[in-house]
Amino acid sequence: MTASHRSAAADAVLVDRLATDETGEAMRELYRLYGGELFGFALNALGDRGAGEEIVQEVFLRAWRHAGTYDPQKAAVRTWLYQITRHAIIDARRRASVRPALPRHESDVETEGGPTLEQSMLGWQVAAALERLTPEHRQMIRMAQFRGLSMREIAEHTGLPVGTVKSRTWYALRSLRLVLEEMGVVPG
Amino acid sequence: MNCEAAREALGAYVLGALEPDERAAVAAHVADCPECAAELARLEGLPDLLRHADGLVIPPAPPAVEERLLDRVARERGRHRRHRPALLRVPRGRMLAVACAIGGLLVGAGATALALGTGGDAPTETAQYQLRLSGDTGATARAELEPGRGGTQVHLWVKGLKPGAESVYEVRCERGGWSASAGTFRADARGRAYVVLTTAARVGEYERIRVVRHDGPEQESPVLSGEIQ
Repeated sequence: MTASHRSAAADAVLVDRLATDETGEAMRELYRLYGGELFGFALNALGDRGAGEEIVQEVFLRAWRHAGTYDPQKAAVRTWLYQITRHAIIDARRRASVRPALPRHESDVETEGGPTLEQSMLGWQVAAALERLTPEHRQMIRMAQFRGLSMREIAEHTGLPVGTVKSRTWYALRSLRLVLEEMGVVPG
Repeated sequence: MNCEAAREALGAYVLGALEPDERAAVAAHVADCPECAAELARLEGLPDLLRHADGLVIPPAPPAVEERLLDRVARERGRHRRHRPALLRVPRGRMLAVACAIGGLLVGAGATALALGTGGDAPTETAQYQLRLSGDTGATARAELEPGRGGTQVHLWVKGLKPGAESVYEVRCERGGWSASAGTFRADARGRAYVVLTTAARVGEYERIRVVRHDGPEQESPVLSGEIQ
């Protein structure tokens, strides 16, 4: 299961269980819901798989240790986990910068005019939102936005009528907006 | 252009995917229609957000991290448990004896169940049955069996498999000529896997865990095996 079919309330209950769950199931579930996107975020920011794995492990340990302080009124679980990840990445970069023997991360994007950590964090959340759309809706957005195709070109490519492509693109963006609102990425 | 046509074109409009004449028609309609203008306002910020996600593909959560994470949490819980007041603690030897007694009941005379903590920590309160699996291929594995009402949940950590997802492996719980499948899995790019599988077979009904590789229809080869001691 991905984080796609869950409500913010279900996530908050899961974090609440973290503190007392003796079986490890709550941690396992939380990790399987968010481990992928947070690993992508960390890997992208640090450019090293091992470092990315360490960060993700650290993030979920911090979440476990501080589950009691999580306040669902202040932020969604996803937002909370991203903020923990962001801090962990900053800490890792700081450690690397005071240990010059360690190799610099190739994708230390903030020092190379690339996206900031905040922008990158936003990007991964939008990528997660796209995963929650139907494949048909995702396809429309990818072709129009990322490949720069016009409605007519998408219709030729997919064999669908132009009218269908157009209305499907509209519904796709409406769905995306709703998902981003649910995730707390944009205001509702 | 009416409202219905304009709205259906708004997605393409904000993504810049309309032909110039239709784009102009939508713009003219929106300028005079507050409802459609409101709908446009809800959508027009999305392309900027999407730009941040260009090229990002969410990877699978690394199974190895899950394993390390759960081990670490179990260890820290064990440490915490050792600091509980004496009245709440059960001596380690006694816990092991209780676990063995439970194991004896479940597994029978030929098998012993072990309740072990990790790395010298206090044992967990739920009985955990652990065993090692080995074979001729160089792969090794560790399995934890969690008895449940409907059968057994098998946690399996494997390394040393042929890297890549081409091969399908099956986990079986066996006794004599009897066998129950717990399910199938594939290895990751490093030849590792961590899976949680469920079999209807109950602890005590089988005496070994075997992993076989499916090489084709009706063709399989043994990879790993471990006896419940």
